[in-house]
Amino acid sequence: MPQPTTRRKVLTWATAAAAAPALAACGESAGAARMTKDHGRKPGQKVTLRLWTWVPLQKAVALWNKRNPDIQVVAQMVPANTSGGYQKMHAAVKAGNPPDLAQVEYYALPEFMLEGGLTNLSEYGADKLKDSYVDWQWKQGVFSGGTYAIPQASGPMGLFYRKDVLEKWDIEAPKTWDEYRAAAKKAKKRGSYITAFPPSNAQWFASFPWQRGAHWVRTEGDTWIVDLTSPESLEVADYWDGMVRDRFVLQTQDAQSAFYKALQTGELVTWPGAQWYDALIRGNAPRTKGKWAVSELPQWEAGAHASSNWGGSSTAVLQGSQHPVEALKVAHWLNTNPDSMKLLIEAGYGWPAAKIDLPKSPLGKPDPFFSGQRYNEVFQVSDRNVDTSWRYAPTTTQSFTHIQDNLALALVGKGSFVDALKDAQTKFVDDLKAKGLKARSAR
Amino acid sequence: MTTSSVKSAQPGAGDSARPTAPPKATGRRRTRRARPDRKAWLFLGPFLAVYLFAMIIPVFYAIYQSLLKVERSGPLGLGAPKVVFGGLDNYAIALQQDAFLEGFGRVLLFGIVQVPVMLLLSLVLALLLDQISDRWAGLMRATYFLPYGIPGVIATILWGFLYVPGISPITEMLGDLGFQPDFLGPDTVLWSIANIVIWEFAGYNMLIIVAQLKSVPQELYEAARIDGAGPWQIALRLKIPLVRPALILTCVFSIIGTMQLFAEPLVLKKIAPAVIPDYTPNLSAYFDAFSNANIYVAAAKSVILAVVAMVLSFGFLSLVTRKQRSER
Repeated sequence: MPQPTTRRKVLTWATAAAAAPALAACGESAGAARMTKDHGRKPGQKVTLRLWTWVPLQKAVALWNKRNPDIQVVAQMVPANTSGGYQKMHAAVKAGNPPDLAQVEYYALPEFMLEGGLTNLSEYGADKLKDSYVDWQWKQGVFSGGTYAIPQASGPMGLFYRKDVLEKWDIEAPKTWDEYRAAAKKAKKRGSYITAFPPSNAQWFASFPWQRGAHWVRTEGDTWIVDLTSPESLEVADYWDGMVRDRFVLQTQDAQSAFYKALQTGELVTWPGAQWYDALIRGNAPRTKGKWAVSELPQWEAGAHASSNWGGSSTAVLQGSQHPVEALKVAHWLNTNPDSMKLLIEAGYGWPAAKIDLPKSPLGKPDPFFSGQRYNEVFQVSDRNVDTSWRYAPTTTQSFTHIQDNLALALVGKGSFVDALKDAQTKFVDDLKAKGLKARSAR
Repeated sequence: MTTSSVKSAQPGAGDSARPTAPPKATGRRRTRRARPDRKAWLFLGPFLAVYLFAMIIPVFYAIYQSLLKVERSGPLGLGAPKVVFGGLDNYAIALQQDAFLEGFGRVLLFGIVQVPVMLLLSLVLALLLDQISDRWAGLMRATYFLPYGIPGVIATILWGFLYVPGISPITEMLGDLGFQPDFLGPDTVLWSIANIVIWEFAGYNMLIIVAQLKSVPQELYEAARIDGAGPWQIALRLKIPLVRPALILTCVFSIIGTMQLFAEPLVLKKIAPAVIPDYTPNLSAYFDAFSNANIYVAAAKSVILAVVAMVLSFGFLSLVTRKQRSER
């Protein structure tokens, strides 16, 4: 005889059902749902690895697959970094079904570390590979003695400039930021802009305080010290504020169609960019072939050779991979094998993290697009001069967004760049604290 | 009204074989009433199951999560992070974020302007539709309702093209007339969003009001006409008071919708730097959860948002009904 269902019973069930997740969630993990584990591979056994990236690595991966039938890599394209790629990776790590290999930029490595999302590759013999890579790039993936990522490429900064236009105007390529401003004035008179100022690109903007010698974050013991408002940072902020106020720069987001159009038409005559911008300019402003050249970044102090880095990424093995040994093998081959590097260079992936012999590398050839210049020699010097003591906090994505938003507001006349940094400073510290870390302002 | 309820309304119907004890009959009647009850539960079952798993459980889970926090040690938190009970810490973190609170201010301002404008538009459209002949009314109703059928994300992409200078024919036309409109600036983008939301929902709210108008007995209008009321007077003195319940309903829905403003600013964010991650409370919670990996803070923000939306909608309801009560 079935009992009639009463309202009270239904309510009891509902409460029980609602309580179930609460009881189950006592096992909430702070990091990855699944830990990396090597299952060992018998000879002849076939494994398939997944690689998530937004960099065009497909050709290199295809080459690996041809040579290694037993270890097949499936390259899956995800949205670039913060426009969805990292979110996907974090979610996959949390859910316990991550890809084995992932494209993670240097600045984002600490964030993945914080979430426990990376595999300690030292346990699988990564440290033996150290000598194949440029030291500072290798160190980007080293945390408290363990190696967590294999470096792929960096982005040493340089100044791309329209050689033909500057010669016509009888201007030398600017060596200091003061000269750069003077050149901007002349360009303005002739209806052009010296450069573009992207309203929301904090990574690009950060390369200038970095070059000036600022350190936005550092650690003391277990406390993060945030310092966006050092004299060096404020000097840089003031400089660009002045350039914007005097309308010497074109406000447009870089790497977008309007920006490329301005490059094509000669509206923009220089662009302080990372090495990997060569492929972007070549691909998106083909009509300007032979008119470009590269020099080192203008200096804050005449005669100095300070430099900085914009971008750069690594190949990491996410926490939860079931084939870490094979994944490490692939990551190392991808970033050091000469055939693979040749394909990556063609795809314009940046400045190699692997040690290279420039004259023998395809990077060392004179380039007709850059008026026959061996332009990568400039970037090689720049890479050596990068201040490698610059660090990234584990909340960079979030905190750089504040800087970006504040600069964007300053651009439309709400406050100055200096105010923008001061306000972002407070938010930066709050971001770190919200993560359960110790943090304070430097001043 | 089902047949069974009619049956149970006649005591003793169908059990004339047992002319015993009237007191027991009440008990029997109760069991007989339970029968349709059970059938009703059977029909409600699938809905309730989905509702339980997709609404009720997540709500409790979010409240539970909002009370947790991660404990870390060392500058990179490498010392084996643990999830521990954090009490109201996440609420403190959320409420100390000025940007999050500013988001509330923004949606409130948005609501105070956008909801009345939209409902006025819906009401005017509904009254006009009620006036014109039936043959056109159907077509016009469908036309006004059509935007509601377009998902908010798609609608925002379409409007985005009309807002971006260089692509938009609107800015070009206004530019030719000597105006320099900036639809995506920090002071204007909120109203650009309001425009999209009005476009999306005015027709939907209009339909609810029209439905209420349709249920008004025609005798009332006849009586009013006999008393010498013109169309204006009928609209103002008769129709508007009669659709009051529909207006209250749409207003409550709109308040809740405004508090949860999300898709439109998220899509516009790509083309408008003024739309910061904390632009609306909902956006703020989303970015905390999926971009900053602060799931527990995001849960707290969601709970705060739900509470504020509840307070506002119930507050509005009690305000309106108190007026009604005093009028009676």
